[in-house]
Amino acid sequence: MPATKTITTPSLRGVNLVKTYGDGDARRTTLHEVTIDLFPGQLVLLMGPSGSGKSTLLAVLSGLLEPDSGQVLAEDDGRLLDVWHLTPKQREEYRRRNTGFIFQGYNLFPALTARQQLEIVLKWGSGASSGDARNRSEEMLSKLGLLKNKNKKPALMSGGEKQRVAIGRALVKNPNFVFADEPTSALDWENGEKVIELLRDAAHERKASILVVSHDHRILPFVDVYYHLEDGHLERRPLPQH
Amino acid sequence: MSYALQTLWHERTRYASGVLAVTFSAVLIALQCGLLLGLFKITSIPIDNTTADVWIGSTAVSSVDLGKPIPNSYITRLAGLSGVKMPEQYIANFANFFKPTGGTELCFLLGSLMDDNTSGAATLLSKEQREALTMPFAIVVDESDVKRLALDKTGDGEPKINGKKVHLVGTVKGLKSLAAPWVFCSLHTARQLMGPMLPPDHVTYMLARCDSPQRAKQVAEELRAQYPDDMVAYTAEDFSYRSRMYWLTRTKAGLAIGYAALLGLIVGAVITAQTLYSATAANAKEFAILLALGIPRWRISLMVITQSFWVGIIGITLAYPVCLGLRSIAMQFNTDVDMRWEILAGTAAITVGMALIAGTLALRSVKQIEPMNLLR
Repeated sequence: MPATKTITTPSLRGVNLVKTYGDGDARRTTLHEVTIDLFPGQLVLLMGPSGSGKSTLLAVLSGLLEPDSGQVLAEDDGRLLDVWHLTPKQREEYRRRNTGFIFQGYNLFPALTARQQLEIVLKWGSGASSGDARNRSEEMLSKLGLLKNKNKKPALMSGGEKQRVAIGRALVKNPNFVFADEPTSALDWENGEKVIELLRDAAHERKASILVVSHDHRILPFVDVYYHLEDGHLERRPLPQH
Repeated sequence: MSYALQTLWHERTRYASGVLAVTFSAVLIALQCGLLLGLFKITSIPIDNTTADVWIGSTAVSSVDLGKPIPNSYITRLAGLSGVKMPEQYIANFANFFKPTGGTELCFLLGSLMDDNTSGAATLLSKEQREALTMPFAIVVDESDVKRLALDKTGDGEPKINGKKVHLVGTVKGLKSLAAPWVFCSLHTARQLMGPMLPPDHVTYMLARCDSPQRAKQVAEELRAQYPDDMVAYTAEDFSYRSRMYWLTRTKAGLAIGYAALLGLIVGAVITAQTLYSATAANAKEFAILLALGIPRWRISLMVITQSFWVGIIGITLAYPVCLGLRSIAMQFNTDVDMRWEILAGTAAITVGMALIAGTLALRSVKQIEPMNLLR
């Protein structure tokens, strides 16, 4: 149930999160009492080897995967919510208001234009009118340098353009939290760099908390906070000096 | 354009099998029903090819070929009513036709007045034929029955009906029979041919024209109310419908054709459901993103249902020209396919309903969509 305590920072807290998979001898603990704080306006990078539990932590924090124990506390309109104590419907509503997702695969609807990919989120999610959804979508595409591509379908866009549309889809509803799982791994570095810059700008300008899971060390200079996850243990690491 | 329709058009090759399944089902249903109605139209030919508005027959007569004799005096019951014109007698009875080449065939005699103002003579009979039919024992048959009755051959014998010689004075086209060939003759000839099989001073029906179809309905109702025990009165339209429905239900042909149509419907539903299921599964990742973003699952379900609706509409739109084309082909082989609007509308309702059910069945693919699967 929603708590009534009002907080300002951090905007999202994972506290003593534990997640295990499998049974018996095959039982494997992916998250060992992980605690993490995400602050508004920060681009946070989560790195670690394959199978270290990065995607699991992202799923738990974003309200997609229930932890075995621990809490995910999120600031939502001045209230502090315990995400995994909400009912599924309340959690769906929480995600609708607060979260954006970006995945490695762009997962754009092949039949829809760039603008419609964004509009669908506003119309179906926020109940926005057609006119409002169109204006907000075009505004977002303009910020992403994609306005000229607004009527293009994914088949006619480059990988970088498609990922930028996917970012637009995640940001168009102005979420408090954005979760990006390997957003640059399918892109060359030129496009990958643009994508990371966009995410950093979104964090700084919109005061959103953006968590990026990646293997790509080239992202490090762009982020505000860097976490390393290995064998289910999370460690905050200093950013490299430039 | 809605997202559902846009997706349908963009992925038209994927949805084509579903659309074609709906089209197949619709064509099957419409043609089966059309053929059935066309076939059973034959049973009401004596009614549909006259100009009478009201038919009076024996009590509870359920089809035009099942009328029992009624007294000639009943004509006065019609004659006294306002808005009723020139009531006349009509004989409709089964009889034995003796072929000139030997052998017999059951035929159905239709005897009416042959003057210019008669309402009982078949409308397809020409003035010359009606004049010729005034000769004793003259008959006319449909050209499709000439061979069957061996009227095209000269054998040792002569054609006879109930043992009395008859002679063919012409043929008509378009009055095909289902079982017993229709034999058109004058009222006098029919009476002679029926002999003792028809009681004296009796006929099978009384017919009349009315001032208007509305008046015909009123007359039929009034007569039914006034003489409930010894006769029945129907408008021509009503009697025609009753005759068809009687044979439709009596022969259970409707049931057989209904089964065949149902089979087509099930096949169509399964293919459509599978098509929608596959198409939704193919877009599972895109839908999963929407779920992750907190968009309710019912929104996605609604899109699938909307797509199934459009699949139904497109399928039925394709089916109509196919039905009409097949009907034209059937007509060239003298097979009547009754494509009345009720059949087309009913087919549309059934097949679109089927597509919606298929869409509902395909929703299981939406239930399987899980945002977690997007994470590697």
